Amino acid sequence: MIRDRLGKELLYFDGGMGTLLQSEGLKAGELPETWNLVHPDVIVDIHRQYYEAGSDIVLTNTFGANGLKFHDSRYDLKEIIDAAVANVRKAAVLGVHDNREVYAALDVGPTGKLLKPMGDLGFEEAYRTFREVVRYGEEAGADLIHIETMSDTYEVKAAVLAAKENTKLPVTVTMIFDGKGKLLTGGDVPSVVAMLEGLRVDALGINCGLGPEQMLPILKEIMEYASVPVIVKPNAGLPKQRDGEVYYDVEPDRFADTMEEILQMGACVIGGCCGTTPGHIRAMVNMAGRRKPKAAKPKTDTIVSSYGRAVILNQKPVIIGERINPTGKKKFRQALKEHDIDYILKEGVAQQDLGAHILDVNVGLPDIDETAMMQEAVTNLQSVTSLPLQIDTVDIGAMEAAMRIYNGKPMINSVNGKQESMDAVFPLVQKYGGTVVALTLDEDGIPQTALGRCRIAGRIIEEAARYGIEKKDIVVDVLAMTISSEPEGAKTTLEALKMVRETYGVCTVLGVSNISFGLPCRPVINANFYTMALLNGLSAGIINPSSEDMMRSYTSFCALMNYDKNCEEFIRRYGGQSGEVKAGTKASLTLKDAIEKGLKEEAHHAAAALLKTQEPLDIINQYLIPALDEVGKGFEKGSVFLPQLLMSADAAKIAFAVLKDSLADKGGEEQKKDKVILATVKGDIHDIGKNIVKVLLENYSFDVIDLGKDVLPETVSECAVRENVKLVGLSALMTTTVASMEDTIRLLRKNKPDCKVMVGGAVLNQEYADMIGADFYGKDAMQSVYYAQKIFAQDR
Amino acid sequence: MDTRTKEAVRYLGYGSHAIDDDTLALIGSSFEELERTASRRIIYRIFDVSFWGDTGLKIETLEIDSRDLRKNLNGCEKVIVLGATLGAEADLLLRRYALTDMARVVVLQACAAALLEEYLDRCQEELRQAQEEAGYYLRPRFSPGYGDFSIGHQGGILRMLDASKRIGLSMTDGNMLAPTKSVTAVIGLGRTKPSRCIEGCEGCGKRDCSYRRDKGVGE
Repeated sequence: MIRDRLGKELLYFDGGMGTLLQSEGLKAGELPETWNLVHPDVIVDIHRQYYEAGSDIVLTNTFGANGLKFHDSRYDLKEIIDAAVANVRKAAVLGVHDNREVYAALDVGPTGKLLKPMGDLGFEEAYRTFREVVRYGEEAGADLIHIETMSDTYEVKAAVLAAKENTKLPVTVTMIFDGKGKLLTGGDVPSVVAMLEGLRVDALGINCGLGPEQMLPILKEIMEYASVPVIVKPNAGLPKQRDGEVYYDVEPDRFADTMEEILQMGACVIGGCCGTTPGHIRAMVNMAGRRKPKAAKPKTDTIVSSYGRAVILNQKPVIIGERINPTGKKKFRQALKEHDIDYILKEGVAQQDLGAHILDVNVGLPDIDETAMMQEAVTNLQSVTSLPLQIDTVDIGAMEAAMRIYNGKPMINSVNGKQESMDAVFPLVQKYGGTVVALTLDEDGIPQTALGRCRIAGRIIEEAARYGIEKKDIVVDVLAMTISSEPEGAKTTLEALKMVRETYGVCTVLGVSNISFGLPCRPVINANFYTMALLNGLSAGIINPSSEDMMRSYTSFCALMNYDKNCEEFIRRYGGQSGEVKAGTKASLTLKDAIEKGLKEEAHHAAAALLKTQEPLDIINQYLIPALDEVGKGFEKGSVFLPQLLMSADAAKIAFAVLKDSLADKGGEEQKKDKVILATVKGDIHDIGKNIVKVLLENYSFDVIDLGKDVLPETVSECAVRENVKLVGLSALMTTTVASMEDTIRLLRKNKPDCKVMVGGAVLNQEYADMIGADFYGKDAMQSVYYAQKIFAQDR
Repeated sequence: MDTRTKEAVRYLGYGSHAIDDDTLALIGSSFEELERTASRRIIYRIFDVSFWGDTGLKIETLEIDSRDLRKNLNGCEKVIVLGATLGAEADLLLRRYALTDMARVVVLQACAAALLEEYLDRCQEELRQAQEEAGYYLRPRFSPGYGDFSIGHQGGILRMLDASKRIGLSMTDGNMLAPTKSVTAVIGLGRTKPSRCIEGCEGCGKRDCSYRRDKGVGE
């Protein structure tokens, strides 16, 4: 069995296939997989040569064999994969002369499409695509599944899940890194290793893109983080171009020399990729022979990751932003009820800008579908921030759904010492990977003593081990109790923090602000407690990064304890400040001027100043709207340009927010607003135009339902009917997507005949708009505002 | 004002109007941010090209019916087929700012376009030098979507270049390149120097376009 040999014996993969086929006459753009059936003799011969050269694992010629990439009128996918596995089997009979045990690995390459939000491929669609391939591969008799040349963590997650859930075969993965140690989609080495080990792959590593020498620094980094066996399959050097043709020029002997270095560093499965030949494999086997490899040592870092970055919890304290949570926040609850995803996203990016390293995501409310909302929040947050997320829910269904679609290795909040909780949560962590917050409470409640809490932590760590979850993936929360009701609460928490760190060496987490419930001036006590907790071993405080008191504690602690080299971060943040808390800046411009000039901060102050003497609605009608009209007219005339128009719009938005808060505080009802749907049509991912229209419509007090980009006609129509919307705005960039615009209009006409449709986008003009049956063509964003005003004025 | 800034200003629709200082500052900081985050990548290959009829041509396995491309490649023996991108990180920036700062999004969008064109021009200049040494002259860059060169050919071009694996460039079902700040193009290689070589914007027949570079010159 290959599983028993991985990491214990040095094993050899094969070398390049595509480059050899090109020299046999494969044309650019031709599907190499068809050669399994059209030229089986060529394919079998290449495989045979690899076995003869010493390869233990030979990959099937199925790199592009998936439903999205492989379109051929003559052959279907199953035929191709059957033939591909049979070709490797046949070659083994012909090429293995020493009775060694060899393997046929199903080669699974990328779909060739980008997943959402970068492209238009859905995660589950990618999963289904891979599921088809791996099922055929197992049926055809492959010994293992090798997923390779992946440059997107999300796609590789779909592939690994498909392989693990639908076959019993071992799964190995290699990714393609560039010379800077990054994936094409931006991910780095620790984030990739953390995610793949979380998904429990049998081996991981690097292939393609680079030659053996360029892989050395990346391998070094992989070895710093990986605990599982590591695979290295370089190209025969960096790709070079001669007359526009790509070629590789590292000769077998030099290749083998560098591979020896690679073995010394700890790789235990080696082979070649583009440009390598049976000659390269033979040279490598001759040099290294059959030996026991230096396998990767188990690592103890506690890592959470997103597609773009990894956060290591055991090196320097980190901040988990707590603000995406409806508890005690009226506006947040309202946003959740109204399905206002943008509100959540803004909370996310604001916390990132303020210095959070991880974002807690809690969207639980009694009367909403938490699973759907959690999935939507996670997906959307990951499209605007690369911070890792902490999935915070007591609903196991929502937890699993979010862990499945999460791109990376998430933090999970939480498990506790109750058997029921561990039985539910640990299987999920075992399957999807994750670092889980362990609350020190059990069936008997929260122990009063530090020792009691420490013991529960021990039991949780023990139970986790039964699932193969290491203690590095447990982050203990010893719970902060409110000191107004439990006078000894803070002391116990601090003592428990220290004890857990010393006893188990695990990372710790704490919802810091719980400590001060019921007390005045909470930030002051929170900040002091935070410093004390950090000093007692807190790894990750769940805090509000918009609290300057908390951030001062954090940055000071890091500077004092030499986590902040040369106090660089502290100086960057506070350089030039006196240390006194700033008093509110005075408004220096009138509201109208601030908006016309597009100055956000000034607009904020000017609106606040006006509120002292006037009613919010009067301010809107007397200052805000006239200022916007003025800018709008300038835009019409050509004296104001798009960036200025939008700067004004953004400034007005800030002023509106100030006025809205004041209205809400006074208990005033907001006026019922007219609803407008906006969408960028199916097939189109360019949504800037739509977003511009959105900002302006919102300025003019329309309630915009933004359906996003790449939106199906059915989605638009259903929403229009459900929300009884009178006006829909559609955008499209290219002629090819105007067709989906037409489909959307047709469907709207059928299902919601009283709804008007306005269209816009680079390719459109009045003629086109008439042709597809739109009611209005907006040549620029202001035109859409004027049209919307006209439509709803008629209505009244 | 440097060339890239001028181009960004033009994409923003300023025409011959003077730009205000705030927008100019925004352009400066947008270029800085893009320089930090965008990862420029290019891939190209050279193929023989053959022609038939008035509008037909064939590049390796790719058959194209386009009068405009045919005209552009007139007299060429070979073509450079290329794909280039600013990468997924540039798109992330645009999505992030769309939440809070649309003015910045619009400016970033224009700067990204200018940056990509500048990158392509630089790569093309290197190609020009190399090809002229080999006795070939470059024709203007021609992309799917120009004239009657259908964007339906994006898929074929990306496959020929293995662009998804090599530079992370792919497309949507609607033939749109993803990441969005990306380009594919064909550059003809001929043995003779093209007599009249007006490239890019000025070469386009749409003379009333508000983004036109030589606006006002010919009017």
